[in-house]
Amino acid sequence: MNPLILKGIRENLRPKHLIAAGLFSLIVCSTVYLTSYLEGSEGKYSKDPQTKEWVKGESSPVNGARNAFTFLLALQGFYLMFLGTGRVASITAEERESGLLDYQRMTPMNPLSKIIGYIFGIPAREYYMFFFTLPFLGHAILVGKLPWGNIIQLYSVFFCSVILYHLTAHAVGLVVPKPRAASWVSRIVVLGLYVVLPGLGQAGISFLSFLTILPTYFGKILPVIREEGYQRRNHFDYEARMADFWQDVPFFDFMISPTTFTFLMQGLLILILLITGYRKWRNQALPALSKSSAFVIYSIFQFLLLGCLWTFFDKGEASGLIGHELSTNEFSGSEEKLMGLIIVVGILFSLSFLFILCLINICCPNQHLYLKGIQRIAKFNLTRIPRMADESSGLGLMLILGIITLFTYSALIKLALHSDAWVLNSSLVSLCLIPTVTLLLTVMYLQASREQWFNLGFWGFVGLLWITPLLASLVLGVGWGEENLGLILKLLAINPLSVVPMHWVYEHADIVKLPQEITQSFNSAIWFGLLIAGIFAIILQIRLFYIRKK
Amino acid sequence: MIQVQDLKIHYGDFVAVDNLSFSVKPGTVFGLIGPNGAGKTTTIKAIATLIEPTYGEIMLGETSVLHQAEKARRMLGYMPDFPPVYDDLRVEEFCDLFAHAYGQSSVERKEKVEKALAQTELITKRRELCKSLSRGMKQRALLAKTLVHDPLVMLLDEPGANLDPKARIDMRKLLRKLADEGKTILVSSHVLTELQDLCDEIGIMRNGKMVVSGSIEEITQRKQSYRTLEVELLEPTTQFPEFLEQWPTLSELKQTHESKPHFEISHSGNREEIPEILSQMIEHGLKVTSFSTRKSKVEDLFLEIESGSSEFDQN
Repeated sequence: MNPLILKGIRENLRPKHLIAAGLFSLIVCSTVYLTSYLEGSEGKYSKDPQTKEWVKGESSPVNGARNAFTFLLALQGFYLMFLGTGRVASITAEERESGLLDYQRMTPMNPLSKIIGYIFGIPAREYYMFFFTLPFLGHAILVGKLPWGNIIQLYSVFFCSVILYHLTAHAVGLVVPKPRAASWVSRIVVLGLYVVLPGLGQAGISFLSFLTILPTYFGKILPVIREEGYQRRNHFDYEARMADFWQDVPFFDFMISPTTFTFLMQGLLILILLITGYRKWRNQALPALSKSSAFVIYSIFQFLLLGCLWTFFDKGEASGLIGHELSTNEFSGSEEKLMGLIIVVGILFSLSFLFILCLINICCPNQHLYLKGIQRIAKFNLTRIPRMADESSGLGLMLILGIITLFTYSALIKLALHSDAWVLNSSLVSLCLIPTVTLLLTVMYLQASREQWFNLGFWGFVGLLWITPLLASLVLGVGWGEENLGLILKLLAINPLSVVPMHWVYEHADIVKLPQEITQSFNSAIWFGLLIAGIFAIILQIRLFYIRKK
Repeated sequence: MIQVQDLKIHYGDFVAVDNLSFSVKPGTVFGLIGPNGAGKTTTIKAIATLIEPTYGEIMLGETSVLHQAEKARRMLGYMPDFPPVYDDLRVEEFCDLFAHAYGQSSVERKEKVEKALAQTELITKRRELCKSLSRGMKQRALLAKTLVHDPLVMLLDEPGANLDPKARIDMRKLLRKLADEGKTILVSSHVLTELQDLCDEIGIMRNGKMVVSGSIEEITQRKQSYRTLEVELLEPTTQFPEFLEQWPTLSELKQTHESKPHFEISHSGNREEIPEILSQMIEHGLKVTSFSTRKSKVEDLFLEIESGSSEFDQN
């Protein structure tokens, strides 16, 4: 057995823990299960249409078991996904802070075995508590006549998600310097990655929704549960919509089952986290991702974006809220449809920008790391730092990532231009030129600032440049919206995330029926945004050049 | 066995270790001495593969710590300056965990854990949880864990810091025994008297640099042109100063105790002259009750370094 799993069992499952945790789990689980089972199995009152009297229906153990299944699943999720994730993050961070992790780092165990040992050993007690829910699960499946195939799919995804969450917590514990910060950061990261980000799936980028078990639950279990209890539950329209929504995922011109797609998505994230964990176990000082793994991961990310948005740009069909709005004809006019398209383009660019920002933070060397590289090349008599080394400048890689983004964007725009679903009156070149310049200039100034300043300087710069003008424009907009529209747009344009949607609005001013003077304000704001980005890119690149030369 | 060459470690703009070079012979105990912030712990961590140096090379025999870290780790046992232990593990489970992590079979583990616990006198505490141990006992548990995979090189950062006097003496004896068995030990400590008896060689660090290194005798002779002789007479006599004037290599007579005829004399001649001095004293009728060459003390050297004496700077 893996020594670290054995350690976890020894630490967490001594007789006193076995009794306390076992009793706790048994009491909570039996309460939750029996309450929901009895509530669900009870016959419901309904009005007889002939006699006009309230009649109590027959009790149904099948309905009871199916009703209890969802609550049981939530309890299992609470044990493993909530309690387990918190424990993995806090123990990893504590051990790193105290130096215990150094002992483990020095043992000759494979880094992968160490990661497995930590993510399965630390939450040993939570797995034990989960074990006590299994008899109830068996009862729910047998009595509720739930199909084994669907249950197996659901629990495969459930455990894949548990591993993903625990791996996230472990990676956060390894990366974040302080244990208290690690505990908070892990909560924020888990919430962001697996709750907030899936919300963007509603805006047509469906692959983001597959970071949780919800698609498999809604796609595979909810239709079965609703089968028997449909009459009783049909007032929950939300459930019906969800069950319909999660049946299959459009990806390019294919349809993929939600379970397969969830495995693909979670597999990608598990791969990223394993790379990070592996590198950090090998050497705490290494950046979380190497340049080559950053390139591969970003390419996969763009491929997923392309696949998920393909049908939207090609046929105007989308999943989530955007799709719902389109299918219910609320976006029937060309103006409304165009606004839907601009929202999706905005999200596409924002996600790509934020992903590149994260990779710049991880893969671009600070001055200390660059100096280390310089001293190494002197030692090994090399003429320059190898391009893909952690110590080398990240400009080349980041520009390549920018070009990959532009390739995805231009492919989608080309689709939209040739599609009957959209009415666009611009050319490919005019729609691509401003986003290209914006993206490349932004990448240049972000990379230069990351490589000359440490964390505080870099994030302070990004915060001041991207967030402060946004907040100022918000205040101006609320107070003096009409008089200062030009200024507000200029402030907005300092943030590169807003330049692309503004450019789209400007390009289609006649479709969205924008007055001439406002159209001009949009135009000057876009050029102002580009000017600011250009100035920063030039100044910071020159400054970086001189620092390096010195 | 340990060869450190041109080691540099930067933390941002701060230089923690600056061009450090030293070597430790196999089967010897090397003591790293220096004030807080001198770079001792950083150096030990770099050898332990826990910090990546900015520049330089560290070799363990033929193995490069920087380029063959996995191989080097098998040769290393590391004990940090404060004893973090797994609180909820029993002492024997704590040792077993590491024996297991080093790939030992269950039979081998049992034997090695037993041996390590016996060496550190923890047999009676084996079933106790680590959190119930005193700091000193935790230190011993940590040493047991370090010994359990039988490392060739042991890196001990302040090993006696939390031990009581008896445990310190026991630890010293154990480390000496391990060195005699062939292990190479690099130890840092603030307890200088401890290093005096334990170490074959010492290195004194200041501001990330090695100021001086070698055996204590070697360093003293290298840096001082004289040695101190301690003489005790049965009773005070005026003959003694007169006798000293006849020897040009003897000087600086100093009475170390007001009421007793106990003196210190500086001797600048060679070592072979010392027996002759003693025999001449007796021939002159001086009633000598004690005669010895004073052993150089690590404290003396360290204090001189601390006071910033530039004559000790190697560079």
